[in-house]
Amino acid sequence: MNCYLCDRTIPLQVTWRSIFFTEREEVICFQCQTEFERIETGCPICSAVGEEKCLDCCEWEKTEYAGLIDNGKSLYRYNPAMKEYLHRYKFLQDVVLSEVFAKQLKEELRGQKSVIVPIPMNENKLRQRTFSQVDRLLDAASIPYVHVLGKHEIGLGGKSKVERIALQDVFWWNGQPVPEKILLFDDLYTTGSTLRLAAKVLKEKGAKEIKTLTLIRA
Amino acid sequence: MKQVEEFLTGRIWLRHFIPFPKEQIDRAILNGSVTTRFGITDEKQCIRCLEHSLQKIVPFYCEACQQICHYCRHCIKMGRISSCTELITWALPSTNLLQSHSFNWTGNLTPLQQRASHEVQKSISQKNDHLIYAVCGAGKTELLFPPIFEALKIGLRICLAAPRTDVVLELTPRLRAAFPNTIIHSLYGNAPEELGFAQLVVTTTHQLYRFENAFDVMIVDEADAFPYSYDIALKRAVVKAKKKEAPIVYVSATPSTELLKQVAHVSKLFKRFHGYPLPIPKFQSLWRYDKTFAKGQLPKKLTVWVDEKIDKKEPFLLFFPTIELIEQAIDIFKRKYPALEAVYSQDADRKEKVMKLRQKEIPGLITSTILERGITIPNVQVAVIGADEAIFDAAALIQISGRVGRSSEYPDGEIIFFHNGITRQMDKAKKMIISYNGGL
Repeated sequence: MNCYLCDRTIPLQVTWRSIFFTEREEVICFQCQTEFERIETGCPICSAVGEEKCLDCCEWEKTEYAGLIDNGKSLYRYNPAMKEYLHRYKFLQDVVLSEVFAKQLKEELRGQKSVIVPIPMNENKLRQRTFSQVDRLLDAASIPYVHVLGKHEIGLGGKSKVERIALQDVFWWNGQPVPEKILLFDDLYTTGSTLRLAAKVLKEKGAKEIKTLTLIRA
Repeated sequence: MKQVEEFLTGRIWLRHFIPFPKEQIDRAILNGSVTTRFGITDEKQCIRCLEHSLQKIVPFYCEACQQICHYCRHCIKMGRISSCTELITWALPSTNLLQSHSFNWTGNLTPLQQRASHEVQKSISQKNDHLIYAVCGAGKTELLFPPIFEALKIGLRICLAAPRTDVVLELTPRLRAAFPNTIIHSLYGNAPEELGFAQLVVTTTHQLYRFENAFDVMIVDEADAFPYSYDIALKRAVVKAKKKEAPIVYVSATPSTELLKQVAHVSKLFKRFHGYPLPIPKFQSLWRYDKTFAKGQLPKKLTVWVDEKIDKKEPFLLFFPTIELIEQAIDIFKRKYPALEAVYSQDADRKEKVMKLRQKEIPGLITSTILERGITIPNVQVAVIGADEAIFDAAALIQISGRVGRSSEYPDGEIIFFHNGITRQMDKAKKMIISYNGGL
């Protein structure tokens, strides 16, 4: 098969494992894989560069959103290859690209005790985009999840952080039972507003512990 | 409505990305002047790029339709087309969209060019496909001018398609200067959108996906060049974009045997416009050059060659087989020759760097095959490093050799193939060039 990203043929790797077990087929080539930058260490909440809790997350702790996120992680840096990937996946709507990180997400979420709650999309936006990029990432990795939240029709993109913080009630509880331990999942962490706004609603509705996972740290 | 007609005639366009108000298009659809079609046929073929392989036409659960739709991955960069995407075309026969034209070109054609020019014109009037088989620097663009003018005058719509954006950018100003009263559109990825009806369209072969049944004459420049030669989808696009009876004029310095067999009418131009012979490549061994670079050193013979060109103040191009090797080599070169630059296809500053070389601000450029065609730099000297690599087939090597000695002030120059063993392709390239010079 051809690489989803560069369209070059991926040489078939025959191993004993691949003969005896059905393994997930690689959808991108080795060269393209090396272009993505995995995050090794970073802020314990948002994975920003550095060992300690980052300045941004410390700032958040001075607001009403303090302590909402117990800990968090992001898997990849937002480097040029990742920018290009997200552009193709989200904006060109190349749905099959949801499979690119399936293996890594599955590995990351193996044995996860918390219930995975994806950040939802607004209904109108969903029809426009024709697919939910966050849900599809989890689907591709065969990871079960539940939707506990709904979203109002306000995009966060293009708004400053102050404006974002001012946005209340972006998310609403959809009436589903709220699990005690939750892992909030989103595609991209930019300022952290989305996750905190969602976490606030969830904690108000009875969640005890909230962890976060995002694919990319911008 | 006139504007919509001018824009849409011969085009196939995404309904929601049309540069006109929605209401205007809705009205045009209601009164029947514009037709809509869904993007993917029941046979799972994309109606814009005609792709139909299972790898490229893929299913997904569409939240807009609440059912399984298919979308085309092949032409996705032009805006995704799925089963529920609507494409629009102008449905009525075109009304009076024709213009008057003038021909403002004062150059002279050599007798050889003149003959070919007549032959092309004859083929167009008889609706025959034609091949212009011309060596690099034969002046093939100029010889197209008179047939294009004749076609414009009798109201034909003409397309000049080239595989690469660089070539389109180079051709456009020359055509605009030659036909000052003609509306000419220049199309390539991210080109500014132009309104109005263009009777002459200069475009990358990719952008032809957006045309259907549009042209009376289709000229395919560099008909052997990547990606056109490898991509059957682009060949289908050429056929789709032209009217059924319209002839295709192929232009190539290195036509495939397939093309030579397929086209009955051929004009051969094996002499450069300035009359001097093509420089013949020299072979020079450069054993295990990849290991030398890997050790962080420059091969001795190569530095001798580069030093000589710098001494003589002659601009030079060094062609490398892979981007990886370029990235490795440029750092090593920069230590000894800080002014050198490297270019490859992903490089945003490509145009500026080539310009710097032309203006002698830098002594030379390291390049991938991206610069193998379309560029002219007076007195340029060329070396191919690793000429034995598979990417350098005979056609590529002939094109690269064709960069040398193009201007009449400097009709000669050096072309050298540094190799790690001579390949058949290198031999073939050299033999072909010698045979062109013999005027066979």
